[in-house]
Amino acid sequence: MATTTRTRAAAKSAAAKPASARRKGPGRTRPPKDDIPPLEWISAAVGLLCALVAIGFVGWDALVGERSPPSIEVRLVAVTPTPHGFVAEVEAINHGGSPAAQVAIEGVLSGQGEPETAQATLDYIPEQSRADGGLVFEHDPRVGRLVLRAKGFADAS
Amino acid sequence: MEANAAYGRALARAFGGALLFSFPLLMTMEMWSLGMAVERSRLLVFLLLSLSMLLGLSYYAGFEPTFRLKDEVLDALAAFGVGFLLAAALLATFGVLGRHGLFSQADLGKIALCAVPGAIGALVAGKQLGEGAPSNREKSEAGTLGEIFLMAVGALFLAFNVAPTEEMILIAYQMGPLQALLLMVLSVLLLHAFVYRLGFPGESRRREAGGPLRTFVGFTAPGYGVALVVSLYLLWTFGRTDGVAPHEIATMTIVLAFPAALGAATARLVI
Repeated sequence: MATTTRTRAAAKSAAAKPASARRKGPGRTRPPKDDIPPLEWISAAVGLLCALVAIGFVGWDALVGERSPPSIEVRLVAVTPTPHGFVAEVEAINHGGSPAAQVAIEGVLSGQGEPETAQATLDYIPEQSRADGGLVFEHDPRVGRLVLRAKGFADAS
Repeated sequence: MEANAAYGRALARAFGGALLFSFPLLMTMEMWSLGMAVERSRLLVFLLLSLSMLLGLSYYAGFEPTFRLKDEVLDALAAFGVGFLLAAALLATFGVLGRHGLFSQADLGKIALCAVPGAIGALVAGKQLGEGAPSNREKSEAGTLGEIFLMAVGALFLAFNVAPTEEMILIAYQMGPLQALLLMVLSVLLLHAFVYRLGFPGESRRREAGGPLRTFVGFTAPGYGVALVVSLYLLWTFGRTDGVAPHEIATMTIVLAFPAALGAATARLVI
């Protein structure tokens, strides 16, 4: 037991000594403070926790996570009039079970003469997550009829 | 108390090493998107393999000739914790995390992927920046399997720095078959030269006896083999091989095996 509880720190100082000193070092006296310090236990426990969290979540997702295709809902969050048009902030929520990349979202505003179309591309929406973007219209989207949808995406990676 | 202070210093060194080794990857865009996009089962395999690799590395990077399981396990776990926490803290600082909700699988994937190079750095730093010089006795005692393991870690370590980038695929597309063969020859020659001819520290004691042919068969050939396997594994993990024609996969593997071979050759320098 005593041999297994030599600390790294003690080993380091032993390694720094000449080989002859090292050779007879461990065999003879070993003070009780050479026990594994509490800090080493704590940091190992923190590391174990990190590893368990990472492996647990990833493993859970790998084994029981759903694998349905991306299903993207686009929602209007807020409209802000600016000197350069009406900025409609939107959020796209991927309710599906796989991520989508380069998601093209489109908003069609009708009811004020010619229908007006604005579009944007969102780089990446992971599964069960959201990404934010904005569409810019000449007319106020709060007045007319605004239809928001995702037009297409690329497979991630 | 004194032991605690000493361990605290070692821990601070580990954080320093993890930072030095992992910041290029933490600041690489592809690592973030791969952390989200890598297939979860492959990420799981990668994490499990990495943890066992840390365990082996903690043995070889350690100072004591005997295998003390408790010590190695504690070190490997602490190193993973260092890599994980550092990745989480830095990615959060860079504004990479929390873009898709407060706590998401995507963020966890990013952190987990970036934690691995940091953990290797943490373990290596314990030895490289340590007070004591690495024991020469143990270096020469690493058997054939140990040598191959260390070459694999070195290959993984260097290849990992470029494996996630788009450039690997782009270079493979640009190269013709002749250029691929040329790169292969170059990799093997460099591997051989780095190990035996350039006289870097820490590599003189390798099995030099037996003439150049034997060293080639005994070290260079397995070294390049390890580099190829590690490269293919990384490409597969990152989903670069999915739906790609076999000859293109081969070219990509050869491209990535170039840094991997350099890593295998200089494993003893770093690790």
